Amino acid sequence: MNFEDNYSTHISQQFNEELEQIRTQLLTMGGIVERQVHDAVEALLNGDADLAEKSRRTDQQTNEMELMIDEQCTTIIARRQPAASDLRLITAISKATSDLERIGDEASRICRHAIDLAEDGNSQRGYQEVRHIGTLVRDMVKDVLTAFARSDTELAYRVAKQDKAVDQEYRTAMRSLITYMMEDPRAISSSLNVIWVLRSLERIGDHACNMAEHLVYLVSGTDVRHASLKTMKAAVQQGDDSPAE
Amino acid sequence: MTSEAKTHAIDISAMQRDNRILRLEDETCTLQVKDLRLSYGEKEALHGIDMTIPKNRVTAFIGPSGCGKSTLLRCFNRMNDLVDSCNITGQILMDDQNIYDRSVDVAELRRRVGMVFQKPNPFPKSIYENVAYGLRIQGIKKKRVIDDTVEWALRSAALWDEVKDRLHESALGMSGGQQQRLVIARTIAVKPEVLLLDEPASALDPISTLKIEELIHELKKDFTIVIVTHNMQQAARVSDYTAFMYMGDLIEFGVTDTLFTNPSKKQTEDYITGRYG
Repeated sequence: MNFEDNYSTHISQQFNEELEQIRTQLLTMGGIVERQVHDAVEALLNGDADLAEKSRRTDQQTNEMELMIDEQCTTIIARRQPAASDLRLITAISKATSDLERIGDEASRICRHAIDLAEDGNSQRGYQEVRHIGTLVRDMVKDVLTAFARSDTELAYRVAKQDKAVDQEYRTAMRSLITYMMEDPRAISSSLNVIWVLRSLERIGDHACNMAEHLVYLVSGTDVRHASLKTMKAAVQQGDDSPAE
Repeated sequence: MTSEAKTHAIDISAMQRDNRILRLEDETCTLQVKDLRLSYGEKEALHGIDMTIPKNRVTAFIGPSGCGKSTLLRCFNRMNDLVDSCNITGQILMDDQNIYDRSVDVAELRRRVGMVFQKPNPFPKSIYENVAYGLRIQGIKKKRVIDDTVEWALRSAALWDEVKDRLHESALGMSGGQQQRLVIARTIAVKPEVLLLDEPASALDPISTLKIEELIHELKKDFTIVIVTHNMQQAARVSDYTAFMYMGDLIEFGVTDTLFTNPSKKQTEDYITGRYG
């Protein structure tokens, strides 16, 4: 089934517009959140407290968008009683919005640690890991939003796969930072800040992965939450191979 | 008890059983339709329908006007026999007997497979006599038996409390919703096995509609119910299984939850999401 223009074929033009509107708003919210993550990581790496503060203030916008999109989803359910792919769209958007909002919260957290670290102004131990995982996670957020825009489940699958790589990198970084703290207890305070940042990045990856799962559910109708990558791959292929006749 | 033990005390598998997804293959079959073709004169209205109607479940037929859903419903108690130009081939099996077999007593078949129509059609008699009518036709004369059955039927149709003090008043003085429930009571009084409902709530207000829907939910414990409805939300609310028909063909038949969230055919998807041109 071609999902890209699947939302413009209802008999009710108004319904088409309502669905298109919440899709657009989700992607707009996604753009804001993507920027938040980007700025948070940059602020930390460059010790830029002003950028961190500016990025933190953006979180208010993300929260407002979450409320607005959720309200629209509720209204559509009440007024239109959507079914099948329309119902899955509303469910997926409502859940994806929550994930985006949580990504925004994690980005805010990174900003808070970025401000603390910028004020400390000493060792940059662990920043290389932050840079590396930050890049992976930013790509995940960007890709999952692209996947949503294009209803591209293959790309969603790659995002979920990337999450495993992020988890692996996170564990490696943890080990290295723990060793560092044992070697030099004076660095514990700043290292803890970096650990919290890495933790937030890892959580952002998890939320992007959740969004990828919501998209697979939206397109294929198969719920792949808490399932293996293999199951997700099968659902993606099933969606590609046997569209509704 | 430790908190861990408390966590384990929650029986998730029991919850999953309560929410269990129905499967057609697990059901007992009440009616089995085999390659059913029906023509009105030269025009074929049903093009070889194959399906099973599961016992003690609500099966809904949905589809656009003229798709053959009411025609198929009427086949289940041979109402189409009354149409002169109607020609039927294929089989509908009930207890392994083809209901179109020559040996079948049509009056007895219609007792076993009762039908309720879109517009309530109470007889111009008292409420009591409406429900007792079928019993009297069957030759039951004992007042005690008739009294008990009338009360049971009216209670089953969720009407008893509203009419118990005016059983001998005319049924025509009741509201539309009450009349429809009375007709359902009249139908179930003769203890059918299957109830056919042809748009039973389409002429009723929302509250009366909800009462009928609630009634359908209660009645499926005792009867197999087949309902034709134009209201898709109603089909989604009341039925366990849904059949989507289009131009005389059965396009998709399956568990209602699946059909309304993830239909397998594009035609079904287009119809239930309002994309039909």
